[in-house]
Amino acid sequence: MSAWRAAGLNYINYSSIAARILRRALKADVKAEAGKRDVSNLKFTPWIDGKAQKTPVAPSSG
Amino acid sequence: MLGRVGNLALLVCQNGPQLQQQCGMATLKAISIRLKSVKNIQKITQSMKMVSAAKYSRAERDLKQARPVGEGAKMFYERAEVEPLAEKPQKLYIAITSDRGLCGAVHTNICRQIRTILNGPDAENIKIVCVGDKSKAILQRTFGKHIILSVNDIGRLPPTFADASRLAAAILQSGYEFSSGKIFYNRFKSVVSYATTDLPVFSLATIQAAPKLSIYDSLDDEVIQSYLEFSLAALLYYTLKESACSEQSSRMTAMDNASKNAGEMIDKLTLTFNRTRQAVITRELIEIISGASAL
Repeated sequence: MSAWRAAGLNYINYSSIAARILRRALKADVKAEAGKRDVSNLKFTPWIDGKAQKTPVAPSSG
Repeated sequence: MLGRVGNLALLVCQNGPQLQQQCGMATLKAISIRLKSVKNIQKITQSMKMVSAAKYSRAERDLKQARPVGEGAKMFYERAEVEPLAEKPQKLYIAITSDRGLCGAVHTNICRQIRTILNGPDAENIKIVCVGDKSKAILQRTFGKHIILSVNDIGRLPPTFADASRLAAAILQSGYEFSSGKIFYNRFKSVVSYATTDLPVFSLATIQAAPKLSIYDSLDDEVIQSYLEFSLAALLYYTLKESACSEQSSRMTAMDNASKNAGEMIDKLTLTFNRTRQAVITRELIEIISGASAL
């Protein structure tokens, strides 16, 4: 088992962390443009038995 | 918006002449108020059309780049001939819509497909993830018990891969063990047409039971697991892009129609307005003349 999975990450978390690090390493002129692709504003609301749970949770991608 | 404009038109057509006969002055004012409001509506719909046209051209450009991502992920399931397992019937349906309305029937089509399935047999094994407030609003009353996750704040900005991967992570972390699922989205065809379609997604166990998995070389559980997680994000990204593009193009058409309808109404109302004004003037003249001749 790879180290990141042992640490409780799944491939999505792992790859998004990798992507973020890569974006940080970009040259300044393309960095701003790439930074725009890194944002996500989605809000998640879990539902139980037909009722939306009150606190919207935002599971982190990394 | 379309419906509202339509109703207004009906109202004017029905009540216009009748009111006119009852009291000329009041209707003159009523017509001018209505005329003004329709003009405002037209302005709004026209500007919405412009905005969505700009957003559409960007969405289409993005979609061209996103298509290979989705096609690749889809081909894996097709090549491996993955079939849903019979003994584990848990299914997950993901409805890709957005928060914004006024875009024709894009959201309704998605929800209608899901509703048809949920009204059929085996509905108790199906759970839904609602992406976008619209699908939540449509499905929550009748199928609230099936919803396990709803997502909003989508549709304002173009979807990003970060959105898709957070969505995929949230679905995987929701704790619902599905064996197969479907993503319902609107596949963009051209500016004027889209097709409501679905893409399959599967769980690890289902993939391992696939008959033709052996055509892929050196696969162990962990590789498949990782690939599945990634392909869920990739598929979601692709479907979000497709849906966003269809939505914008559909909104463009809807707003174009709304502006056209409003234009027609303005023409009719202007005509009625002028005619009424003429009638009022004539009547006043008659009153003055007959008053003068009576002296």
